[in-house]
Amino acid sequence: MTTPELTVPLLRIQTRSGERYDSAIDLERVRAAHRPLHTARTEVTADGNTAAAIATLQMWRAVIYPGFPITPSTKWIETVAAHVAAQPDGIKRVKLLEAEHAVADYMAGAAAACRDLVFPTATSSVGLDHMTETTRSLGASGLGNVMIIDVYRATANYPLCIEGDPSDTLAHRDDGFIQIAARGKQQIYDTVLQAPCLGMHPDVMTPTMPGYYGIKDSHRNARLTVEADSAIHAFQDRWIRPCPLPGLINGDTAFGNCVTSRFFQGFKLEQKRRMEKVFEVLPAIGGDFERTFGRPGLAFFDAAGWPESGGVDLAVVSMLTPFPSAAVREKLRRARAVLVVNQAHHMGRGHLTLDVADALGNLPSAPRVLSAFAGLGGADVSESTWEAMLDVGRRALAGEDVADGRIYHEGAAL
Amino acid sequence: MSSYKETATRESCFQPGSTLCPGCMESVAFQNIGRVTDNGVKTIFTIGTSCGEVSTLAFPDVVAWGRGNAPPEAFEKSFSIIHNVFESAPTLAESIRDVADVLTSCGALQRPVQVLSFSGDGGAIAIGLRPLLHTIHRRTRITITVLVNEFFANTGFQYSPAATPFSDTSTTPAVGPTPGNLNMPLDYVHLAIAAGADLVAQISPAHGKLFMKTVEKSLECQGTAVLFVPAPCISGWKYDDGRTVELALLGARCGIFPTFIWERGQGGAVKDCPLEASERPRIEEFLAPQRRFAHLVETRKDTGEVVARPGREQTLEKLRAWTESNVERLYALAKLK
Repeated sequence: MTTPELTVPLLRIQTRSGERYDSAIDLERVRAAHRPLHTARTEVTADGNTAAAIATLQMWRAVIYPGFPITPSTKWIETVAAHVAAQPDGIKRVKLLEAEHAVADYMAGAAAACRDLVFPTATSSVGLDHMTETTRSLGASGLGNVMIIDVYRATANYPLCIEGDPSDTLAHRDDGFIQIAARGKQQIYDTVLQAPCLGMHPDVMTPTMPGYYGIKDSHRNARLTVEADSAIHAFQDRWIRPCPLPGLINGDTAFGNCVTSRFFQGFKLEQKRRMEKVFEVLPAIGGDFERTFGRPGLAFFDAAGWPESGGVDLAVVSMLTPFPSAAVREKLRRARAVLVVNQAHHMGRGHLTLDVADALGNLPSAPRVLSAFAGLGGADVSESTWEAMLDVGRRALAGEDVADGRIYHEGAAL
Repeated sequence: MSSYKETATRESCFQPGSTLCPGCMESVAFQNIGRVTDNGVKTIFTIGTSCGEVSTLAFPDVVAWGRGNAPPEAFEKSFSIIHNVFESAPTLAESIRDVADVLTSCGALQRPVQVLSFSGDGGAIAIGLRPLLHTIHRRTRITITVLVNEFFANTGFQYSPAATPFSDTSTTPAVGPTPGNLNMPLDYVHLAIAAGADLVAQISPAHGKLFMKTVEKSLECQGTAVLFVPAPCISGWKYDDGRTVELALLGARCGIFPTFIWERGQGGAVKDCPLEASERPRIEEFLAPQRRFAHLVETRKDTGEVVARPGREQTLEKLRAWTESNVERLYALAKLK
């Protein structure tokens, strides 16, 4: 490759985080080096991990894929590796680290080095736990170009259970990531495509953690509509603009300072404000996605009603962090009782229950909030289990004193 | 290679404003490495949590990094630094190197970048041994610098795997009959060679010219260069003001941390530390000025001679034997190619 003459002087821009040397990195050359995976809308058969891998491979901004295998997310990195190996003269690279902790450290350095590129990885369960020391740093970092795809699996090794239980993602709700749950291959693909648009938005600048159920969604095949790379680029380019803050390569900057407690407040305040901006930006991105591709985009709920069941409505929350309290309050304000089904172990009434109860707490006549646990360890929530849980709701509405927070399985309250 | 005089008069990226202890060898290392890196190439440092980090990157104190009093006009003189957890510095540096290389490969980055990582010995060879060895193993083109003060100094001088045998640390205290740290140090120089480093050195800034040349050579290395920098710690080693360089030289010359420079394919050499024990300073000369060894040696008032404290004779001889094996080991490593 011949290097052109360096004739264009760099423009120095002052920012509150140091100097930025514009055009030190010519992103157009990165875009030009992208090899399209699909040139037209295509129907494929894919499992969830493959759907997520395809989405990240189609992004021109994703050029390095750090990873470490763990069930059930392993096929994500395998799929990416197979594609990269098939194009040895492309610029995309797989980076195999020695452990998940190193993956998280790697993403911190890489994302800070160039804040205009996207750095995705996938992990699960204790893999996410192993990243924790640095995911908490990443959550506060302002590096919205970091994306950890979490393939849900129960945490802990005593007992070890490899099936899809969102206790891993829910154990990391304070890490500072935007956490979005996806169901089904299409929604996985679509969510991964939209996540960097949200995370890298200049008002948000917060890393993202899209997730989906291990085994059920990660390993089972279904039809998937894949968009042309060019269409994806056009969509993402509408939302992802050059980062206003300097990176390590194109800047003169210091990153990751320590602060006194007095100044710590300001950093956390700003982190919280950026996270709250998600409530404004997410619906706009989701709306644009739907207009562009004709499928639902990012939303707070992935909802389905049950009209035949006479008054019982089902609302599936897909936005886990930040929790859409206002939207939940609005949706449930006329309910007489709310049964919250938690799928992750919790020593109290459940992570989700606490958030729902908090959202409804200041309504003039708040509905009764009941808690149930079902699907732990990725177990199927059978029809009889649903009936058993709904029966508790009905009895509560009838004024009975019902047991709260029980574990349900195969139609029985345990 | 630049001349020593030319290098020594360059602009360091380590600026006034740090709260490192007066007489800290880490600040001397930062100052000198900062000068070597003012070589017309954009510089990025990564640093794990350590004394060197909390004392130089604390907001709202003055950030002690950067060239000049204002951001430089020239990109080539610009400087960036990133901190993350103790063990992270080599991995951070590797990731930045990779991003720069990918951008360069497609023509998006047309100016070179040099990346150096900084850790303490606690960060690099205790909590961070795994990332250190794996980053070396992946042959990353970076300079890894480990500032070895033989403690977790940042948290109050606790034992680290680099601690000299029988030193008093806050978690291996020399109390009663217990003579301090009973563990032999981890052979980190050998580990770095075995993991695949192309250049491995143990050298402190007390060896001024050689230190600068070694840092410069590390920046030209096409693989991973690892510099272990013995860093006398005035607060943890507990010695009088003004003796930092003297102790760094004594420690190297008596065989506690001999100066060692090795390159893959060429072998190496132990410098300024003869193999023959009788030609080296006695270890007592190194031990006596430091109160971390006060339980081990004392200075006789009548003769001024440093001798083992009563009852510590065997322990001192064990340390002497370890020192002997340490020198022999490095001479043997120097023969590897």
